[in-house]
Parts: sequence; C-alpha cells; structure tokens
Amino acid sequence: MRARRPLVLALALAVLLPGVAPAQEAYPSRPITIVAPFPPGGVADLTARPVAASMEKVLKNPVAVVNKTGAAGAVGMQFVATSKPDGYTLLLALSSISIIPEADRIFDRQPAYTVDQFAPIALISADPTILVVRAESPWKTAREFIEDAKKRPGQISYSSSGIYGTLHMAMELLSHAAGIKLRHVPHAGAGPALTAILGGHVDALASGPAVVLPQIKAGKLRALAGWGDTRVAALPEVPTFKELGHPEAEFYIWAGLFAPRGTPEPVLARLREATRAAVGEPEFKAAMDKLETPIAFKQGDEFQRFFDADAKRLAAGVRKVGRVEEKK
Amino acid sequence: MLETLGNLGLGFSVALSPSILLYAFLGCLVGTLVGVLPGVGPLAGISLLLPATFGLDATRAIVMLAGIYYGAMYGGSTTSILMRIPGEAASVMTCIDGYAMARQGRGGAALAIAAVGSYVAGTVSVVGLMLLAPPLATFALRFGPPEYVALLLLGLFVLAYMSSGSMLKSLAMAAFGLLLGMVGIDQMSGYFRFAYGVVELGDGLGVVPVAVGLFGVAEILSTAGQGTPPQVVKPRLRELLPSRTEWRESAAPIGRGTVLGFLIGILPGSAHIISSFVSYAVEKRLSRHPERFGHGAVAGVAGPESANNSATSGAMVPMLALGVPSGPIPAVMLAAMMVHGVSPGPLLIQQQPALFWGFVASMYVGNVVLLILNLPLVGLFVNILRVPYPYLYPAILVFSMLGVYAVNGSVVDVWIMLIMGVLGWVLRKLDFETAPVVLGLVLAPMIELSLRQSLAMSDGHYGIFVQRPIAAALLGVALLLVILNLLAFVRRRLDWRARLALAEKGEETS
Repeated sequence: MRARRPLVLALALAVLLPGVAPAQEAYPSRPITIVAPFPPGGVADLTARPVAASMEKVLKNPVAVVNKTGAAGAVGMQFVATSKPDGYTLLLALSSISIIPEADRIFDRQPAYTVDQFAPIALISADPTILVVRAESPWKTAREFIEDAKKRPGQISYSSSGIYGTLHMAMELLSHAAGIKLRHVPHAGAGPALTAILGGHVDALASGPAVVLPQIKAGKLRALAGWGDTRVAALPEVPTFKELGHPEAEFYIWAGLFAPRGTPEPVLARLREATRAAVGEPEFKAAMDKLETPIAFKQGDEFQRFFDADAKRLAAGVRKVGRVEEKK
Repeated sequence: MLETLGNLGLGFSVALSPSILLYAFLGCLVGTLVGVLPGVGPLAGISLLLPATFGLDATRAIVMLAGIYYGAMYGGSTTSILMRIPGEAASVMTCIDGYAMARQGRGGAALAIAAVGSYVAGTVSVVGLMLLAPPLATFALRFGPPEYVALLLLGLFVLAYMSSGSMLKSLAMAAFGLLLGMVGIDQMSGYFRFAYGVVELGDGLGVVPVAVGLFGVAEILSTAGQGTPPQVVKPRLRELLPSRTEWRESAAPIGRGTVLGFLIGILPGSAHIISSFVSYAVEKRLSRHPERFGHGAVAGVAGPESANNSATSGAMVPMLALGVPSGPIPAVMLAAMMVHGVSPGPLLIQQQPALFWGFVASMYVGNVVLLILNLPLVGLFVNILRVPYPYLYPAILVFSMLGVYAVNGSVVDVWIMLIMGVLGWVLRKLDFETAPVVLGLVLAPMIELSLRQSLAMSDGHYGIFVQRPIAAALLGVALLLVILNLLAFVRRRLDWRARLALAEKGEETS
C-alpha cells in the first residue's frame, strides 16, 4: 500500500490543480508591458522591441513596449519600481539604472527609485564603449592620447550625452584609471555628442560601437581603445584599456530586463525561461545583428553578479565626480 | 549635373513604384492627421509610429516616416489658423495672423496659402537637398556651440518685431518665457531647478503644452467669458480661395521663407523651431504695412508656414549626407534605418543610391500628394467653423488634452497646459501678447546650454566667440542691428510701433 502513496498524491493533485491553477499558475493570462524609459529609436527601445516580439512568440501572450520617457529615464524607471509586482509590468533598463540613484544621493535628493526596487531577469546585451577621436587628430593610439593628456591636463576636451550620463561615466572611469584630466563638454544626448566631435568642437568621445562604426569605416573617426573585457568583434584591431594596463577602465552600455522587486518567484522563473528562449529565436538574432549589437545573455546569479559589480563601479565613479561646482 | 539627373531618374523609378507610392501617401495622410491633432507634432507622430514601420523594408520605412514628418508640418497650420491652437511648436506664429484671417472670414484663403506655400517650400528645398547635400552638410557641422550662441542672440532680435502693441509688454513677456525656460535639470551640473520634487519637471516645461495652453485654451476661456457668443463664421465657397491681392502679397514671403527655413533647418540641433519665428520677423521688417501684422496679414502666414516646411528638408541634409543625427527627428529616422540594417553614415549615398535617390524623389512626390490632399481638405476643415461654439469648444479642449497627453504619456504635461491656459487668459485680459513667452521658452534652454558649452570648450574664456569666424560674423551682425535700431530710435523717437500703439489708444478712448 505504501508504494501507492505517490500515485494517490499525484491523483489528488491532478484533481485539485485545475481549481488552483487559474489563480496561481496561469501566468501570463493578460498582455505584458515592457517599459522602455527612453524615446523610440534609442538603444533601450530598439532592444525592447525585438525582445517583446520574441517573448510574445514564446509565451503565446501579447507583449507590448511602452515608451515612458523623461528625466534621463528616471520617469519610466520610477514608474516600474512602483508598479504592482505581478510580472505584467517589466522594465528594459540600460546602465544608467545604477547611476541615477547615486546622482540623487550626491545632491541630497529624494531618490526617484533605488536599485533594490528591481528584480533582475536577464541581461540582453552589453556593448563596451570605445574611445574615438577625429581621423585627422594627432593621436594614433590610446597610449599617445593618454600621454598627451598627462602633459596637458584639462586641455583635451570630450563630449558626452549629458552629465552623469553613460558616456560621461565611461570617460570619468578612464580619467581616474589613467590618472588624467580631460575637459568635459556635456551635450543633450548621444546624437548631439557625436555631432560635436564630427564638427570638430571637441577632441574625443566615448561611444557605443554601433553608432560610430559607419563613421570609422568612412574614415571620419578613429577608434583608439575599448572599455570592454575583450575586444569589440567588429573592431578586432582596437585594443582594450585592460590590455593597455588600465583594468579599472571597464564600462559597458548594457540592456537588461527587470521586474519590480516582490514579483513572485514562479513568475520570475517563467520570465527567465521565456527570455532565454526569446534570445535564441532566429528573428531576435537577426534584429540584433542589424543593430550591430552582439547578444550578451546572462541571467540568475550570473546577471546579479554582473549587475552588482557594474553598479558598484558606477556608484564609485559618480562619487568621484561629485557635485560639479565643488571642484572649482 | 547629368549624373544627378540620372540618379534622379533612378530615384523616381523607385519612388513611383506602386508600393513606395502607397507608403508615401500613407505617410502624408497620417502626418496630416497627426499635424491637425493639437499638440501632437512631427516628433511625437514619428516616434509613435516608428514601431509600425519595423515590418517594412528600409526604403519604404524611411519614405513613410518622411511623409509623416512633412505631412505633420502641413497639417500643423490647420488648427492654428482655424482655432488658434498650434498643432506643433513651429506653427505658433501662424496662430497670430492665420487666426485673425479666419476671424475675418478668410480662413479658407489662409489655409490655401499655407498649403501652397508649404508645397513650394517643400519642393524647392528638396532641390536644395539634392544638389547641395554633401558640401552643405560639412559646412553645417562647423556650427558648434559658440556659433549657436551668436545665432540665438540674433534670434532674440526677432522679439523686437513680434509685438504689434507695447514693446515694454512684449519684452516683459519674453523675459517671463526665458524664466520658464529655466525649469528643469541643469544640463551642466545635474541640478534640478524649480522641479519641486516632480520628476517629470526635470525635462523642463515642454513647448507644446505651454503653446497649446497659452493660445488654444486661453482662446476658449476668453470666448466662454464673453457675454454674447461671437458670431459663427460661415465660410462661403467663393471665399475659400485667396484673392489676387492675397496671392501677390504672399509670393515674396513664400520665397524668402523657403530659403530661410532651409538654411536654418540644416544647422544641427533644434534650430528649425525658430525658423518660423525668424521668418515672421523678417516679413514684418520688410513689409510696407507692418501695422497689419497681428491683424490678419497674409505674409504672416505665408512666410512662417513656408519656412517650417523648408526646414524639414534642411534637417535631412546632415542626416542623409553624413549620417549625423542633427536633431531629434532625424535621430528617430536614423534609428529606423539602423533597424533595417542600413548603417547611416557618410557612405550612405554611395552605398545605398536607391534608398537616397528614392527618398529624394519621394519627397517631390510627397509634396504633390500633400497639395492634392490638402487643398480639397481646406473646404472640409473650414466647415469646422460652422459648428456652434458650445459643441466645438469642449471638443477642442478634449482633443488638446488627448494630444498633449499622448506626446509623453504624462499627466504633468496636461496640468502644464491647463495652468498655462488660465495664465494665458489672464494675460489676454491684461492685454499682453503670449507669442513672446513661447519664443522665450524655446530660446532660453538653447542659449543657456550652448553658452555654457562654449565656455566649457574654452575653459571659461569669452574670447571663443570672437576667435571663431562664423560666430564673430553673426555677433557683428547682431551688434550692427542694435546700433541701427538705436540710431533710428534717437533720430525719430517714434517708430511705427509707437505710432501704432498711440493710434490704438486713440481708438480705444474715442
């Protein structure tokens, strides 16, 4: 009789489950929203759309992208941080997710959200920034650039997407690692920052590879080095700062999927599973190929470790910059 | 030249293929609707519809998005003229004389002139885009922060020509607008200014909610406040078309607006917004009857409307020739190309001739489509004015709120619009004009950012403004304008503006 016990249990469960399932396990049963906290056409949006399309196929449930923009992403991130943790509102965030609360802290502001309000689901892509200068500029290598910057502190200028923005932080991490001082000219977004270096109004720029690749190929810009752990696939001849002896100059523009903290574990597990399947879809790979953004999938502990290390590095970077006017 | 013609032939063979034609038409249609909806401008329209183009190929997607862009510029004038609600930021100036014309029963004429002006501007500027794109784009890139400061200071002179009444009052309004422009994150230090803990205010006050509030909502409130409702304007068919005089008066402004808009549009950044302001000022300055501006001057519609359409083609120049995201709208279009695996860059024209020339040709086609689409619609739109105010105004209010909300999905923007509406109503009661407020709000963040960028570039030395030739030349012109105006002031004491103000006072007292 004892041997029959599991069977009885299984039968009992089979009878009970249909009654329990709709309340607990039928996730997802209505449309899921992925919030992209930046406008259409930006990295977050362009990553979120193919993710949503592939997840929709995997989950057999509608997944929509909503752009909730404002205040450098803080509006959308705050929105998700405070939404109901039921797995129906997700966030596609970029590296800046860990910068904003730190900047708020520096100004003694009530933070719009904190990093621990989110439960990481998966990392989708992580592109290292690369250092570019104009093709006619005197620096042929990153070493020459750093040497020159040491000789003329505060003379070489660079543009960024905005103060405490991702492109600014990349340069700050480099400045600190190499012991140099550069002149920062913030712009209102990555587009204007690129325009500024092409027009010759600044000397250097840290940028995501996809944006500057056409300009490098056309001979307008020269790539000196990358912030990655390894070299950028599309630019195999460009060294990393790590190779050049500046391992602290590590920075990625990454895109990851998050849920509000407190989302039930089974739902998170389902989402992790769905994202893993989604990034394996050929359509998704094709979409990311077109954007020239390699997929860098990580989830679970692996993503958590990456996220924590990145957040720590960026928080230290922001604190080093401090309040801008205090330096004068 | 021959090569260009050959390329254009290729372009037309692409643009006239049925499927491309269909998407150009769809884009124009959607754009017109987007432009007509108050508050929703080309940027919002393109952003909202970008995902819909992901299923198309690159050429179709870009042709459709461009159609939405210039379609919205066409459509933006409609609500400005008929209801004094700027469809988008660049139509603010059209509200002034366009609406005045509509009140005099010339709404149809104003709409027709806006459509024809937009058509001429669109077509001529595409020729400019086609022939001059690469050299002009390289030149435009030399426009950095110091040049911007000089240009914008020159832009402030526009103010002198914006008011038809008291100069003091319009300067006060401009100063108020500049102050409103201070709200938001300080781009150089990251401080929140005047945000009072509202995260949404970090981006500052949007031009669109402020303009829709100050113009549209204020108009509705003041009409509602009148003891007897204003007479409903019943347009008759023969009054729909502009008269011979009106055509003659608008020809030169259309030409000037086209050139001006194109040149301003090329500059990287958001300068295209000021193209219509600058055009209005130029027309008023050159007009033999400056006193008619603000009371239904045809040139005040023809010039700015041509300028804002021409600026759209201008903005495409750096985008197509260099792959530079020269403003928010080109940035979205570049993203659309990247989604389709076309990497926009200096090599685009060589590598993707079918896309580039197909795009250029489709802009010719698109402008014709818009003219065909818009002229018959004039008759339809004008009939909106027949709707009695008790039904019309609540509907407009609802659409304004919808439009303003849709842009960012932000309730804060709706509140800004409503508060500005009440403020605009109070200002009108006190006889203040509100256009300078909008100009101030547009200019303040741009001047501030580029001034501080310039100083960051030079490490705090003001010499940067005279060391760079373009900036120095522009500042020289600005200085000359100040001197000329001062001289005129000393010599005559009373210019036409003062005379006009006196005349108006006389009217009121008599």
